[in-house]
Amino acid sequence: MTRKPYRAPQRWNWWLKNPAYRRYLLREATALPLFVYALVLVSGLYRYTQGQLAFTRWLEALQAPGWLVFHAVAVAACVLHAVTWIELVPKLLVVPGISGRSIKRGHQVAALIGSALVDAAALASWPLAGGAS
Amino acid sequence: MSDSIAIHVNRYRPGVDEAPTEQRYDVPMDGDLSVLEALNYIKDEIDPTLAYRWSCRMAICGSCGVMVDGEPRLGCKTFLREFADRGELHVRALDNFPVERDLIADLEGFMDHLAAVKPWMMHDSERAPAEGEYRQTPAELERFQQFSQCINCGLCYAACPQFGRDDSFLGPAALTLALRYNLDSRDDGSAGRMAALNADEGVWRCTFVGYCSEVCPKDVDPAQAVNRGKVASTINYGLNLLRLARGKHDA
Repeated sequence: MTRKPYRAPQRWNWWLKNPAYRRYLLREATALPLFVYALVLVSGLYRYTQGQLAFTRWLEALQAPGWLVFHAVAVAACVLHAVTWIELVPKLLVVPGISGRSIKRGHQVAALIGSALVDAAALASWPLAGGAS
Repeated sequence: MSDSIAIHVNRYRPGVDEAPTEQRYDVPMDGDLSVLEALNYIKDEIDPTLAYRWSCRMAICGSCGVMVDGEPRLGCKTFLREFADRGELHVRALDNFPVERDLIADLEGFMDHLAAVKPWMMHDSERAPAEGEYRQTPAELERFQQFSQCINCGLCYAACPQFGRDDSFLGPAALTLALRYNLDSRDDGSAGRMAALNADEGVWRCTFVGYCSEVCPKDVDPAQAVNRGKVASTINYGLNLLRLARGKHDA
């Protein structure tokens, strides 16, 4: 008897059919708002090189509601990315004698402290940035 | 609880059907019945033409993997009571593999992938039997034991969208098997397995979906193994750069 195996093609919507795949793609999709955020940041740097007026206008433009919503989305994406990434760290970093749970907790604490330090540095240097104060 | 449950089984007859079609069978409801036993009931009492694989009935042989309501499961380890409230379930052959007939997936390519990582003990110098056995401490056993629990059921391949997109990817079980031997203190063959890990079809094809570890019936955690393979591959890459910088050949 001749064989005629059936091969099902992988359709574009494969990821919609399983919650595990939807979670995975949501995690991967966090790269998109972060990519746009990086472009916004670079455009700010460019404006900064054009002088104080250009930079102040850029800052004012970012206060439009649309940009505020975008930044909220970018922060949420960033947090989701960090949380899901640190969730996976124990699978990559296996240290004999230290439990995966401890490794995860260590990364979470380090991420929180690191974020707090960066935020503090940004806030402390804020009056210097474009002289907006 | 209803006294029967509807099992919708994907049927595919090669040479007759263009694509699988669903067929409904009503099986007497019994919470202690596994999906595999329900398939046995269908074959014995309703339709002797139904084709599926099975052997041990106790999650050791890895033969009865099927998609149950879209999830890769072992038929023998999945019980009808889980579906009692809905009164129905859908069974089809494992995703991402060619379907040979009804619920039988063609696992030949998968078996080739397992062999590609040289899953056997290799020694730099063979020891004569008179010199005694290769001994191992409990701590050395602990390093790889989890990864040696794999029963080659293929559920992780049915869970892997990267394997579904391109089945040349060596995939979760084969890469786990490579790590199992690389972590074994009695083995000297890890250098010989790096080519397979580093290749296009190796560890870097994995995008860490992680679903393979969720569906594994033996809690092997293939996602961990594949991603530790990425760490090993990165270290290997760095060492090779050093070797090349010193004018030696890469290993």
